Amino acid sequence: MSSHFITGTDFTAFLAGLIKEKKVVGPVAKTSRQQEKFVFAQLERAEDLRLDHDVTILPPKKEFFPTQQDLVRFDGPRREGCVAPEEKVLFGVHFYDVKALDMTDLLFKERNDDRNYTARREAATVVIANVQKVSPRAFWATVGREVQPQGHDAWLTRVTGGYVLEARTPKGEALLKYGKFSAATPAHSESARQANAEPKCPEHLNGDSVTNARKVRAAFAKEDLWKKLAEDCFSCGSCNTVCPTCYCFDVQDWWNVDQKSGARTRYWDACLTEDFAKISLGAGATENFRESRGERFRHRFMRKAAYLNEKLGGPACVGCGRCSAACTADIADPTAVINNIPEA
Amino acid sequence: MPATTPCRCATPNSAQDQKENIFLPREATIIRLEKTTEMERIFTLRLADGSQMKFEPGQILEVGLMGYGEIPLGLASSPTRTNTFDIVVRSVGRVSQAINTLGKGDTLLIRGPWGHGFPLENLRGHDLLIIAGGIGLCPTRSLIQYTLDRRQEFKRFILFYGARDPQQQLFTSDLADWRKSKDVDYHETVDKSDPTWKGNVGVITTLFSKTKIDPGTRVVICGPPIMFKFVIRELDKLGIPHENVFVDLERRMKCGVGKCGHCQMNDKYVCTDGPVFAFSEIERLEEAI
Repeated sequence: MSSHFITGTDFTAFLAGLIKEKKVVGPVAKTSRQQEKFVFAQLERAEDLRLDHDVTILPPKKEFFPTQQDLVRFDGPRREGCVAPEEKVLFGVHFYDVKALDMTDLLFKERNDDRNYTARREAATVVIANVQKVSPRAFWATVGREVQPQGHDAWLTRVTGGYVLEARTPKGEALLKYGKFSAATPAHSESARQANAEPKCPEHLNGDSVTNARKVRAAFAKEDLWKKLAEDCFSCGSCNTVCPTCYCFDVQDWWNVDQKSGARTRYWDACLTEDFAKISLGAGATENFRESRGERFRHRFMRKAAYLNEKLGGPACVGCGRCSAACTADIADPTAVINNIPEA
Repeated sequence: MPATTPCRCATPNSAQDQKENIFLPREATIIRLEKTTEMERIFTLRLADGSQMKFEPGQILEVGLMGYGEIPLGLASSPTRTNTFDIVVRSVGRVSQAINTLGKGDTLLIRGPWGHGFPLENLRGHDLLIIAGGIGLCPTRSLIQYTLDRRQEFKRFILFYGARDPQQQLFTSDLADWRKSKDVDYHETVDKSDPTWKGNVGVITTLFSKTKIDPGTRVVICGPPIMFKFVIRELDKLGIPHENVFVDLERRMKCGVGKCGHCQMNDKYVCTDGPVFAFSEIERLEEAI
């Protein structure tokens, strides 16, 4: 690991140089309903990068697990897999989103390595940027504190007069050649440490991960509780869609107009939607293994707070607050739900 | 690929990535076809490259056609038999209806085998009771054939099979063999009789009074979701411990490889953690049975 400093002016030139050489994806502004929001998009110009973003609408997982992704293409009897590693630099990711990437990295790799995800992931360079502005629904300071972000190559922090870049892997070191970096002084490093320690979250999750996992799991049988919590649920799946750790998908085949070729494609799916666990039994009969809104709502909370903890070392939630903000009925907020479940 | 196919890939696949793509299916040729009921057809398949399909009884395949999709199916024959394997397709949706238009010599696409099958090590050397309801006979047939082929490895072999009505009975030639066989203590029932039926009428649990079952018996159950509860109640009366009871579960196993989330029950993926589970392992799971 090595620590470097770059001035504000040189930083813009560094980024411009990087963009010229590589595909760089980072947070950029997007105005939606007169509100400034942020999305991860390919950078055309260095000036477009918004390191002062609070949170992006969709998490960066879409770079490795696109909203729709061909798995197999066909043309008559010929078939071809679509594993497509693409070199890119994911620049300016908040640490909580990297924690989420660590989780999807593990989950796509374990048991049957899904190269459609992992090959893309391995081909990427990930640069964390410190959180300069906190989103109104964030609670990342109080969730899964025992888990540190792993899957990144460099960590960029804004300090007075410029940026400190800590290169943490050879891929991170390789970025240095694009800019006029100097060795960071102890004062720079101290400023960076302070900048990363500074932000406070508006929302708080009470209790530690182990206690929360236990009490959420223990509340499974409280049918009335889940029914009540999900009373206003539209089963729209927005909470799943914006979640950085959700990775469920549907697979659909489609044809080109030639009726000869086409593809098998996966699309993001959501366990809150009504048909997610439904099967056909024949003769028009069906069985839905999570038929009620309460059951589906509960499943999401079990997934986020309890089921995966052992495997991931902490909850499958990083406190980004996207679900809280995306939920039309505003019932998805993990702090509101988990804090109100009494201890087992 | 021709220009008409939109290529959304940024870079072409490496040969290694092609090989490692868990979604790329293999070809299997239809060797034999048999219409077993109005809705179900038995397909006997062989891998198109001539290699032997390696699998365990109880494992699943994703079976499909490009442009239609895939469906999860339990392997319906035993690996002890030749280099072919059987599946049964019930026409219920787009994929299964498309598959059921195919004929002998046509190609099906398969992925797998996936998942954990029946725990043969645990079953060997004991009495074995298999309880199959409806289409649950298909995956259990792989174990039935296996047991008959390696009969000396098991003690008593008892088989209960229940169908909705006589017309819904699957594998009728097998049933005729099993009725006569000395290697299996076979009992069958139908929920609803018709004039051709001379046998037992009633739900599958009515068969428990037909034979003696030792508490040390290993039990395998596969059938419609509703059946499990009632069967386990009977097994409890017989004093059979839950760790000796194995259930073969059905869920929407869309990807087959433990990723897509559709088959999840509590924290288990049925496609990879199952589809066969010891009942003792899943009875604490509220979403299982």
